[in-house]
Amino acid sequence: MRNLLLVGLLAGSSVVQAQMGTLTTPTVKTKQYVSFAAEEQVVKAGKKSVVELRFKVGEGFHVNSHTPKSELLIPTNLTLKPAAGVTASAPEYPAGTSYSFSFDPSEKLDVYTGTFTVKVPVVAEAGAHTVDAVLRYQACDNAACYPPKSLPVQVLVNAK
Amino acid sequence: MRRVLILGMMVVGVALLLWAGWHNLRERRLAMQQARDKQIVLIPAKPGEEGEGGFPQMRGKPAPAFSLTSLDGKEVSLADYKGRPVLVNFWATWCGPCKVEMPWFEEFRKQYAAQGFEILGLADDVDAGKDAIAKVANKAGVTYPILLTDGKVQNAYGGLDVLPMSFYIDRNGVIVEQTAGLGSKDQIEATIKKTIASGSTTQAGGQ
Repeated sequence: MRNLLLVGLLAGSSVVQAQMGTLTTPTVKTKQYVSFAAEEQVVKAGKKSVVELRFKVGEGFHVNSHTPKSELLIPTNLTLKPAAGVTASAPEYPAGTSYSFSFDPSEKLDVYTGTFTVKVPVVAEAGAHTVDAVLRYQACDNAACYPPKSLPVQVLVNAK
Repeated sequence: MRRVLILGMMVVGVALLLWAGWHNLRERRLAMQQARDKQIVLIPAKPGEEGEGGFPQMRGKPAPAFSLTSLDGKEVSLADYKGRPVLVNFWATWCGPCKVEMPWFEEFRKQYAAQGFEILGLADDVDAGKDAIAKVANKAGVTYPILLTDGKVQNAYGGLDVLPMSFYIDRNGVIVEQTAGLGSKDQIEATIKKTIASGSTTQAGGQ
């Protein structure tokens, strides 16, 4: 009986290893200038909660805030896809910081650099949910700009 | 006593299995997320994109032909400028550095007009609309032709993952220099002079 238990335990752990192994994908170079920190969000089931999505802008780059100072500039924008069991309200964006290119100090931009957090008010039914979203942004460095990008993200919401 | 021990071990075993299952699920979800984050690179925004920070080098190659519509509705081809040095400059309305060099280009266009030098500004963001493109070009004081890109010309010129991107084409239709990002005004002028000089010896007897 004891041996059986041991065998059972060993088999169980090897399954864990095997499943983990298949999901370890090789690191590939990315063309994105913003990355998403995937963290499971634990909220109270059926209660108004706020899910925080943390993004990081690559070093040396900046992206326009959600409210850039010119209509020509492309704002950072998060679009949430409908997900069963989760009712999400409009995302809340942080204020940007003032920035000017060294070659054009007169034009003030409103940007995100480093890390920034987008808050999404949600009401989630009990259980684990996955909300798909897309962050659209446009990045520049100190001398060049990069075409608008879409960063797909997956938000894991665990309502208890 | 032994039965209690075995029962205890069974409970611990089942608990461990449950924990392993839960842990596995959580790890898998996180791993999936990480995998998904990396996966996006497998779907390039535009065909022809290269590795991070890099872009295809076109220097020394014949300039790809194009025929595009200008802001004032005319059909303009690169072939129309055969035998003349041409600067093809890709820009966008949302690109700050692009707007800085456009007045410089305008100045150099006048300065080197006698040598046949011409500039074609290719707006890389047609979705901004003709009005917005025209507004930005006018504000920059641009009088050289502004052409609306068609999605194909960007790919022909290497995918353009950086703006501004300029291609300096000599009289023989060869790309003498390719620059990405904002350079200094002096650098731009030096490259224009180099472009005008390139191919001129072979043309001298014939024209």
